[in-house]
Amino acid sequence: MADVLVADSIEKIYGEGETATRALEAVSFEVAEGEFASIVGQSGSGKSTLLNLLGLLDTPTSGVVNLAGEDTSELSRRQRARLRSDTIGFVFQFHHLLPEFTVFENLTMPLRISGQRVGDAERKRVSELLELMGIGGLEKKNANQLSGGQKQRVAIGRALIKRPEIVLADEPTGNLDTANTDAVYDLFRSINQELGTGFLIVTHDRGVAEMTDRILEVSDGKLVQDVRNDYV
Amino acid sequence: MLPLIIASRFLRSAPGQTALIIAGIGVGIAVQVFVGSLISSLQDDLVDSTVGSSAHITLLPVDDEQISAALAEEALQQSEVTTAIPVRRMSGLYVSGDQSTPLSITGGDPEDIDSIYGLSERIVDGEFALEDGQILVGTTFADAAATGVGDELELVLPNGESASYRVAGIFDLGAAAANERLAFLDAESVGEALGLGDDDYSAIEIQVADVFTSTELAQRLESPGVEVIDWQSENEELLSGLAAQSGSSLMIQAFVLVAVALGIASTLAISAVQKTRQIGILKAMGMTDAAAGRIFLLQALILGVTGVAVGIGLGYLLIWGFSFAPVDFSVRPSPTLIAISAAIGVAVALASSVIPSRSTSRVDPIEVIQGG
Repeated sequence: MADVLVADSIEKIYGEGETATRALEAVSFEVAEGEFASIVGQSGSGKSTLLNLLGLLDTPTSGVVNLAGEDTSELSRRQRARLRSDTIGFVFQFHHLLPEFTVFENLTMPLRISGQRVGDAERKRVSELLELMGIGGLEKKNANQLSGGQKQRVAIGRALIKRPEIVLADEPTGNLDTANTDAVYDLFRSINQELGTGFLIVTHDRGVAEMTDRILEVSDGKLVQDVRNDYV
Repeated sequence: MLPLIIASRFLRSAPGQTALIIAGIGVGIAVQVFVGSLISSLQDDLVDSTVGSSAHITLLPVDDEQISAALAEEALQQSEVTTAIPVRRMSGLYVSGDQSTPLSITGGDPEDIDSIYGLSERIVDGEFALEDGQILVGTTFADAAATGVGDELELVLPNGESASYRVAGIFDLGAAAANERLAFLDAESVGEALGLGDDDYSAIEIQVADVFTSTELAQRLESPGVEVIDWQSENEELLSGLAAQSGSSLMIQAFVLVAVALGIASTLAISAVQKTRQIGILKAMGMTDAAAGRIFLLQALILGVTGVAVGIGLGYLLIWGFSFAPVDFSVRPSPTLIAISAAIGVAVALASSVIPSRSTSRVDPIEVIQGG
């Protein structure tokens, strides 16, 4: 299978001179289409920095991030924003829904941002996604009327609305209780299987990482382990 | 389109803040509309009372010669001229005991006289009539001379002889000086008293549609043997007073606009800080910096347009309220001025969104996302 995401010797240094901090050092790996992988590491290990670089939210000091077959190092801010919005779905620890908008509007926001019309087909897709998330029929609710678990599911739905090739999730269950955490991972897994969407989940929780097919471990800014997980 | 939807949603999500700033802009624009209309109405009235019922341009013969009525016909050819009449002027002295009061007498065709001085509407006692031997005098003079309608008025004429005229009406031109000094006779009576020929007149009195065009027209009416006097060159003090008043009114309006601009800018700056998280999320989802910046520009536009509309409504309300004030003067809304205020108001709103728009376009989605 083709690689959807390639990190080639990426390095990130914050600051300059004596105060310079090396957050990532020569990290290289590939993620294939439809993979269900995790990045695990302690707090401060550089895993979130890595996710920001892979998600084109930040640029590496050196090295190349290749997304959907495109070398991103020469792209402008605007071009990166476009590529990001077309290929990646983000899920964060905090749901980051827009409180001024309804569930339907939040879900379709990525489409609107890329200038797509929201018509009947999209309406149908939203209700299918909400059904898949187990929160069907909540379209017209305002985002801040939902519970924490519901909000996170809407956020996941939003990450999927543009049929991204890969979902980057940064501690997606960090704010949820055990029951909701399990439910979210089951959801990720079923989306991965039903829609073929790739997942790269960043977590500090080894137990959570064990639920994925591949574990990339980051420590002190280096990729120290890349193993297939036969737990599943 | 999306930035507009987001902008209006942001504004609606903080209704109190939005209402306050719209009220702020509204009050500012209302002050502009009211003060501007007040000053322009006041000035119009002042100009009108100064020259509304007198000649704007007067043609006089040089060297005590006489002037022909044909010049009035010529002046009427000019498009700006609404009225041009030949008149005969003389002075008369009213003597009573050891007191004497000089009168400046204008003689002319009754209709002509009325077209300049509007006397038929300004008669407070008696009637507007200038048949042979009838005279019209002002209220102040009538009081001082203790003369009334129907009384005979004996005047000493320039040739030293006395003549008697019957008071047909008493007028009030709105200014004590005019009511004391001016008197009107028919053209023939003055012609007789001065021994003039049929086409001998002392002056041509002219009124124009727009009083401020008089200087320019006066230059065009110049011809040999004729002295041209226009009201503007005789009222320089009044005009410089009006200019000073306009200047101070502009200053007030400029400061009001500055206050409005500061209000919008500070509200938008606060809103930009409050919405940093949302902006970061939108950018993480692919919104461009320019589109994110436009959100605040559009918020400013919505606030500006709504505030200006509220302000114009409020301004009209103030003008309407002023009509109940116990003053002998009414404020008329000036559409040009209101349009200018509205345009400037919206422009100021847009300008004050520049800083929040810029800071918005610099929001880094990473900081927002990781900050929670």
